Formats: sequence, structure tokens, C-alpha cells
Amino acid sequence: MAPHSEPNRPPLKASGTYTPAVIEDIQVKAELGRYRLRGFGTLRERTWATFDDLTFIPCTLTRIPLEGYREKCSARTVLGKRFAKKPIELDIPIMITGMSWGALSYNAKVALAKGANAAGSSNTTGDGGMLMAERENSRALIYEVLPSRYGINVHHLQMADGIELTIGQGAKPGTGGLLLGSKVLDTIAKQRDLPVGVDQRSPARHPDFLGPDDMVIKIEELREATDWRVPIFVKMGATRVFDDVRLAAKAGADVVVVDGMEGGTGAAAEICQEHTGIPTLAAVCEARAALEDVGLYGEVQLIIAGGIRNGVDAAKAMALGADACYIGTAALIALNCNAPLYVEDYEKIGAAPYHCHHCHTGLCPVGITTQKEDLMKRLEIEPAAERVANLLHAMTSEIQVLARACGKADIHDLEPEDLRALSLEASMICDVPLVGTTRVFGGGPGWKERRCH
Amino acid sequence: MGAINCDGRTIREINSEIKRLVADGEKNIVVKNTAARHNLGVAIVKPVKLRFEGSVGYYCAGMIDGPTVEVTGSAGWGLAESMLNGTVIVRGSAGNAAAATIRGGTVVIHGDAAARLAVALKGGLVLVGGNCGYMAGFMAQKGTLIVCGDVGAAFGDSMYEAVCFVGGKIGELGNDAVIEKPTEQEEAFLRDTLKSHMPKKTVLKFKKVVAGRKLWNFSKQERAVWKEAL
Repeated sequence: MAPHSEPNRPPLKASGTYTPAVIEDIQVKAELGRYRLRGFGTLRERTWATFDDLTFIPCTLTRIPLEGYREKCSARTVLGKRFAKKPIELDIPIMITGMSWGALSYNAKVALAKGANAAGSSNTTGDGGMLMAERENSRALIYEVLPSRYGINVHHLQMADGIELTIGQGAKPGTGGLLLGSKVLDTIAKQRDLPVGVDQRSPARHPDFLGPDDMVIKIEELREATDWRVPIFVKMGATRVFDDVRLAAKAGADVVVVDGMEGGTGAAAEICQEHTGIPTLAAVCEARAALEDVGLYGEVQLIIAGGIRNGVDAAKAMALGADACYIGTAALIALNCNAPLYVEDYEKIGAAPYHCHHCHTGLCPVGITTQKEDLMKRLEIEPAAERVANLLHAMTSEIQVLARACGKADIHDLEPEDLRALSLEASMICDVPLVGTTRVFGGGPGWKERRCH
Repeated sequence: MGAINCDGRTIREINSEIKRLVADGEKNIVVKNTAARHNLGVAIVKPVKLRFEGSVGYYCAGMIDGPTVEVTGSAGWGLAESMLNGTVIVRGSAGNAAAATIRGGTVVIHGDAAARLAVALKGGLVLVGGNCGYMAGFMAQKGTLIVCGDVGAAFGDSMYEAVCFVGGKIGELGNDAVIEKPTEQEEAFLRDTLKSHMPKKTVLKFKKVVAGRKLWNFSKQERAVWKEAL
């Protein structure tokens, strides 16, 4: 019986400030003596403007749609046309983002590589270096160069089809990676030159350059190391996106990757996941404006990441200016993350299917974010790879459905004009009229005002 | 012997020429008029002798595997960064982050090294004849760092299994860095290393600095250490 309906008892009053969740947080920290850590990414209710605040306006009488299920709608995606001799050519615009072998199990990494390969897409290494099995199973493999440089190997770098110089990550910009001791087991420790079982906290800063001026030289070094053959990506967490994207583009990146606030992580301080960075929707708009501002929109490609869940999110990001999207968490969910399997093992770690964010523990019930052999075996590579490939196909087909309805024979032709905003905030952020009006409320994003002065 | 003159040539042309000579089987290459140019000799993965006559800029011999590189002048930032194997010898001094994240090989700097020397060292040997700046050995994971002269503040901060030896004064130890007495074998190793790389150098006594290992795992018992490190 609910408390307020008990006879002879006044209604209980709960604090709006000290909610049960806040009380639990304080009491946990009173035991722990440090900030709380966990995986997955932000769990906050989405009270900010997201891709859900936009709707497509397909063709009616003013424009003619393509035949929905028949006419060709190209999804071919080329990245790195600016300086690289050999740009990356993909069949689809949805790519697998960098996730480390360490955060993820061997089976998960190989399944992602195989799945991406089968779908004509790319895979990315991660903190801790390259797995040979990942190289062998990827038609396009992007080698991440991270601040920690764990597992850095010039031979692996030279085998890659692209290099991603990672400055930060959307889930936790300004902080380095975390891998708790429960995951730093023999193979991973050896690969990273670390003692077994340490709580590995990676650096946030690159060891050998500080800002955009010397990043120019770093990018040149990476190009010299690969004879200017492969594209260089610069990846950043979304913070001061307008300025950061301009700096990265000016520094010589072929491709800029902007990872928004809704991005995932294997482990990070909870406060960073919940209270730092800007949302992916705002990030893509700022990034496009930045590239336009320096006259490099179209020449430097833009990849958007951070909470891209389906083809709809991806299509909206592309209409707003992205050339391609990375998925991370969505790909892991395709692998089985949060699936209702081995329910008793979710319970053991204080989680439940659909509510698990315990990647940091290394006790992933479905064998994805673990280094324990018995758990990893639960993820069978071949069927998992097929699920990833299926998801990539499905997302691409979702983008194509929307693009055809908007009259586009190439998904890259989606444009802001194909969108309307469902909220004032989205209208202001995206420079897209609010539904039912012809106006962009607020006069468009702030950077445009700044440019006008 | 192959000779390359940097005058009037782009870094792309210079490095391409080095790589062409290496591919043709050249064992000795001299690069003249280096003029502190950046990215000289990066990612060379064959056992060749490369001599840079003059000073070099950022990332000289970065990401190499196998060559023996000599710089007759001084080096800029990130000397030999991420090297897997080989030997890099600088007759002058080196800028910030020399030998950053190397995983093997030997880096010898006869002069001084600036800040963040051997940052995140992952293996190999780094030997500095002179002094070094702030935060040397920060997060050093494996390998050996020897500084014959004085070292700056925050020395050996947050290390894992790397071992450091200091011949001069320590400005200030970094978080979790502790001084230990070198073993007899280590003293013999230090004598041999100096003898082979810097025969004219004499250092009477080295202090050994290693990790106190209090930062390896989260612990509220170590609040004083973690207060700074979290």
C-alpha cells in the first residue's frame, strides 16, 4: 500500500534536493573515499535537445521522392581526400569507433572487426594497441594514437588504413582512460607494459605535444611515418567544438572526429560522464560551422560520434553536416550488451539486463567487457560478428529510407533543409526552423552571430 | 656512404631520400645542414647508421625500430618518441619529452634534457650526461632512466616498474617516488653503462628511485597520496 494512503498517517515528504539517488550517492562516497567510477556513459534523463528534437520533412509536392524500395541511393563514403594518397573508401557511413582491447574482450574486438568488414565498413583499434586478429579481419582499420601510447608499434601503425590522433573522448573529455586492475590481467598487462592488476589510469595529455601548434608537427610526423599514404583523423571530445574543430582542421587533419557528451566509455569518473561535455546534436552543428568558417567544409571530413543509436540519429547528424558516424555502444549492444542472458550474473554485480553499466568491473555477464576466459567464451565470434554486420546494414538502410523520401540519390546529400525542429532549443542550436513556422528562433547558433560582428 | 643535404629540400624529400637509401641497402647515411628541421628520420625500421650533422627539431628518430642515430647538435621535443629498438645519441642537449614512451632501445643525451624526460617510459634505457628538468620519468612503466646530474621537481612521479638512477641532486621527488639503495649488480651496471656510452664521465654515487607502489591500486588507506593523484 502506498504510504500516503495509510489511515491516520500524514503523507511522507521526499526531498527534491536529497532524492533517494542523492542520498545513496553520498553514502557510497562516505564509504569509498573517492569519486565513483563506472562504465557505459551518461545515464541522465535526456532533458537537453537531442536528435529526437528534429524531424525530417520528406518530399510532397515541392520535391519528388525516390522510389522507396527500388531506386539506388548511394551510401558510399570516402574519407581523407584532403592530403592522403589513399583515402578510406567504405560502402556505408557507419563505422566502428575506437574501443580498447582491454576494455573489451578479444572476442568482442574480433567480432567488431569481422562485422564491420562484412558490412563494408571500418574498425578502429584503441588504447593498448592493435590486435593482429583485428588487422587480419578488417578491410579498413584505423589505428588510434592515444596519449598513453600503450602498445604503440610503428609496424602496426604502418599497416593501418588510417591513423586517429585522439585528443579526447566525449564521455570524459579532458581525462585519460581508466582500466581497473580486474581487467589488467596477464595478456593485457603485457601488451600495455604494465604490472598485472594495477588500476591503470591513462594520461589525459599527449606526452610529446601540448597544443595545436605542435600538433601540426605531430601530424606531419604521422604522415612521414606512413609516407603520406593514409588519412590522419583528429578525434576530440565535444567541449569548445567551434574553436577546437577549427584548430584541428588548420593543423592539417584530413578528418575531424567529434565525440559528443552521450558517448560511451569502459570506465570513467561518473561525474565526468554526467557533467562534462556538450551534447552530440550541438557538437555536430558547431563542428560544421567551424569547418565552414575556415573554408574547409567538404574538404575536411567530419565524423560524428556519441550516442548514435540508429539510422535516424545518423541521418540527422549527416543532414546537419557529418560525413559519417561512429558507433560504439550501439555496436556493443548488437554484440549482446544488456541482453537478457545470464541474468543471475547481472544480479551478482548489482545490475540487471537493460540496466547494466558495469563495464568497469570486468565481470560483463555477456563476455564483452571482460578479460575472464569463462565469461569471454559466452560471446561467440561468428554469430556476434553477424549481428554487428546486420546492425550496420540496418542502420544504413534506415538512412537510405529517409534519404529517398527526401529525394536524395546519395545519403550524403541530406541537408539541414530536410529537417525541422520540434523544440525551440533544437531550432536555435541547429539553425533549422521550428515546425509550423518559417523562423529559426534565436537567430541561429551563437557562433553565427559572432561571425557577423 | 650516402649523403643528403637538407638545404632547399622539404622534409618529405629528405625522409624519402633516407628511406630510398635504406631500401637500397645503404648502411651509413649522413644528413647535413639539418637546421633544426622537424621529423627527421622518423619511422626508420632497418638497422642503418644515420648521422644528423647539426641540430634537429621535434620528433627526430621518432617511432624507429633498429637504426643507430647520432645527432651532432641538440634535439627538439619528443626525441626518439615511441622507439621500439635502436640507439639514439645526442651530443648536445634535448628538449621536452625526450625518449617519451619508448618501448626499447637506448637513448643517450650527452648534454641536458628538458622537462618530462622519459615520460611514460615503457622499456629500454635512457642516459643523460647532464641535468634534466621537471617531471622526468612521469608515469614511467618499465625500463631504466639514468641522469648523471641534477633532476628537477616531481621526479619519478606515479611510476610503475621503471627504475631511475640520479647522480646529482633531486629537486623534489614526485608522488609515490621513493629512494632505494642500488644493489651491487645495479652499481656494476651503472659503471658499465657509463663506461660504454660516456667513458669520460665519472659519477661517484647514484641514488635509485622507484615507485612506492601506493598508487597502483585505489585505496582509501592511502588518502594522503591519493589526494594529489586522483
